[in-house]
Amino acid sequence: MKQYILFFFALISCMSMAVERTILIGPKTIGRGWKDNIVLEARHFATAKAGDILTVYYDQAKRTAQGAFQDPDTWKGIAPQYNYFSLNGPFQLLITDTLLPVLQTRGVAISGHDYRILQATLTDKEDWQETIVWRGPSVQMSSDWSVNAELPGSCFRDLRLGDGLRLHISRAKDDATTKLMDVTWNAIEPAAEGIPVGGDQHTYYLRDEAALIRIALGGTGMNTALRIGGKNYRLDKVGIVRFVGEYSEDLSQAQRAPKEYILQPDELFHGEKAFPLDWRGNLRVSAEKLQNATENDVLIISYQSFPADEMNGRPPVISFRENRGSWPDLSGSQEPNWIPLDGNDIVLTFDSLSLDKVKTRGFVICGMGFTLTRVQIIRAE
Amino acid sequence: MKTLQPYFLVCLLCITCATLAAQSRALCNPNATPATQQVYQILCNQYGHKTISGTVARVDWNIDEAEHVHAWTGQYPALNVFDFINIHASKDVNPNGWLDYSDMSVVTDWWNNGGLVGCMWHWQVRANNGVNYTCSPGNEPGETDFDPACIQDPQSDDYRQLLHDIDQVAGYLKTMQEKGIVVIWRPLHEASGNTFEYDGGKAWFWWGAKGGEAFKALWRFLYNRMVHHHGLNNLIWVWNSQMGDNSWYPGDDVVDVVARDSYYALQYPLYKEFIQLQKDYPTKLIALAECGTGDEVNMSLFTDIWQQGSRWSWLMTWYDYHCDRATGEHQFAGRDWWVNAMQSGYMIDRTQMQQLLQSAAL
Repeated sequence: MKQYILFFFALISCMSMAVERTILIGPKTIGRGWKDNIVLEARHFATAKAGDILTVYYDQAKRTAQGAFQDPDTWKGIAPQYNYFSLNGPFQLLITDTLLPVLQTRGVAISGHDYRILQATLTDKEDWQETIVWRGPSVQMSSDWSVNAELPGSCFRDLRLGDGLRLHISRAKDDATTKLMDVTWNAIEPAAEGIPVGGDQHTYYLRDEAALIRIALGGTGMNTALRIGGKNYRLDKVGIVRFVGEYSEDLSQAQRAPKEYILQPDELFHGEKAFPLDWRGNLRVSAEKLQNATENDVLIISYQSFPADEMNGRPPVISFRENRGSWPDLSGSQEPNWIPLDGNDIVLTFDSLSLDKVKTRGFVICGMGFTLTRVQIIRAE
Repeated sequence: MKTLQPYFLVCLLCITCATLAAQSRALCNPNATPATQQVYQILCNQYGHKTISGTVARVDWNIDEAEHVHAWTGQYPALNVFDFINIHASKDVNPNGWLDYSDMSVVTDWWNNGGLVGCMWHWQVRANNGVNYTCSPGNEPGETDFDPACIQDPQSDDYRQLLHDIDQVAGYLKTMQEKGIVVIWRPLHEASGNTFEYDGGKAWFWWGAKGGEAFKALWRFLYNRMVHHHGLNNLIWVWNSQMGDNSWYPGDDVVDVVARDSYYALQYPLYKEFIQLQKDYPTKLIALAECGTGDEVNMSLFTDIWQQGSRWSWLMTWYDYHCDRATGEHQFAGRDWWVNAMQSGYMIDRTQMQQLLQSAAL
């Protein structure tokens, strides 16, 4: 009897550990032009294991929004299928044996354009149940998109909103792409039109009821309900995955995104943008708000220097560059003009040449050793 | 009166220059049909006074974007541009095709309703994998190593494909000519890509991949084949200039209009580019052949563009494949942009264009 009781408590204990854990608290705006990102710190992945899943929840996505998971060292996709993808609800990174060392060393950058991150969570692989509903025979998707696998309605009898369709794939080339279509050959939703896939699986989550209805049109019998097509990969199996864990309210270990502010008409930037010692930080400011600028206007750049003990004896510096080519200095000099930061705001004035440059393409702020907090234009009366 | 004299002289000089420029504007094809000459004259007459509104087809052969503008503003744009991007999938040459360029009804209806017709050509050739079609140069399977210099080697496969494609498109344009339709024709666009914008810049279409001389030779080959071999006299030839590519200009004798594409379409840089093009090509009309909101910035309102001083002959906003007409959201130019443009008083819509065409007895 005692053994049973112990087993029962052990089971309860395991179940209570199966949680979705928040590791990033937003909001963090990923604006236009692929210039925004946030790096999830490596510490979050210290106890992660292959099979665990990183999920990013977001809102305010434009129709054309795209997401990406990038290696903070190279700023390229952490794997080919994560270079860019359309958004159709919370998006995920499946942690593999290959990715785990990268995550545990450098973390991962969430990037893309035109959406706002609300939070990111980590879940154990045990929290996801998968039921294989289609076992082939395998279908090789050729490069001309002409092949597709036809899945009968019987596969999807138990499909619910929020479930994921997991495509188990092999022989995926770098440009492998999948397309999920209904019986009439139309994509089940715009985001399913062409999805980069790679590795050995891809999970597509059904967040839109309309997509579910399109699949349901095939009925629950042997008629075709879903066509899976695309190019340059082989489809081996299809499963339905469902999250069965719980959500943890504990936010004590979560990383918080930098503060964000609604830009006022005279502000070109307002927030917290770190310029670390490795010179990785930069901020591109578009020409949009500078269209009516004159030579009498000035830019006020506000910042906070890093604490002296973090600077290894180096002074914080800033420079202003043209937003073109290899970012030549705005002053016209070939070499960057590094301005030492003494704690006071920087006041940037214009001559006709620099004004022309910033009105034409905007400018880029570079430097290290400070956190940029605001860029404001003061217009002359 | 004495103090006004310098201003008077300056004004006189400006008027004289403008008149001379107008007089020196003539179609490069001396055998252009009367209708083509009249449409060109309308463009010249409006140039500097009003901008002609334009939309592009959603990918290839339709007026979907123009319908968006109509739904939002109650007005159709004056120009609709069609794209020969999918000629290999046209039902008249491919039994498995999904569109039919030989069915001219969409073009004819547009023209008969007073709209100007434009055509462009994302000229897709066989990709290196032998299966797909593409415009992108390169050695990857999905790219093409198609050589624009093949015009020097009539025995080559590339040459045969080149000729085949030109002749197919010429057939459609010929049908338009027979129906009396004038075509604002913009082939081989954006040829130099960003070659001159920064170190490492390059052409992104195969027709520019072998440099300016090969491109110019190809342009002249295309012009000769269409004008002299096929007798196409209904075309107004538009060359698309990229930043700093004057050395790629095919020549006054084969170009009628110089155009620019911009997806950093803010009023100030647009004005600078417009002025520079006017200076570089003083006898040519200057048009904004493609524009819209880009990755970094929202396109300026048309009234701001006009106020800044760039007076493009026409402009054409790009298409949004998934545009939601009901919300007015659009990737490149949505409802608010078009309402502003159509209400500016400086933009010509299709109804006004119809009146201009009718007054020219077209």
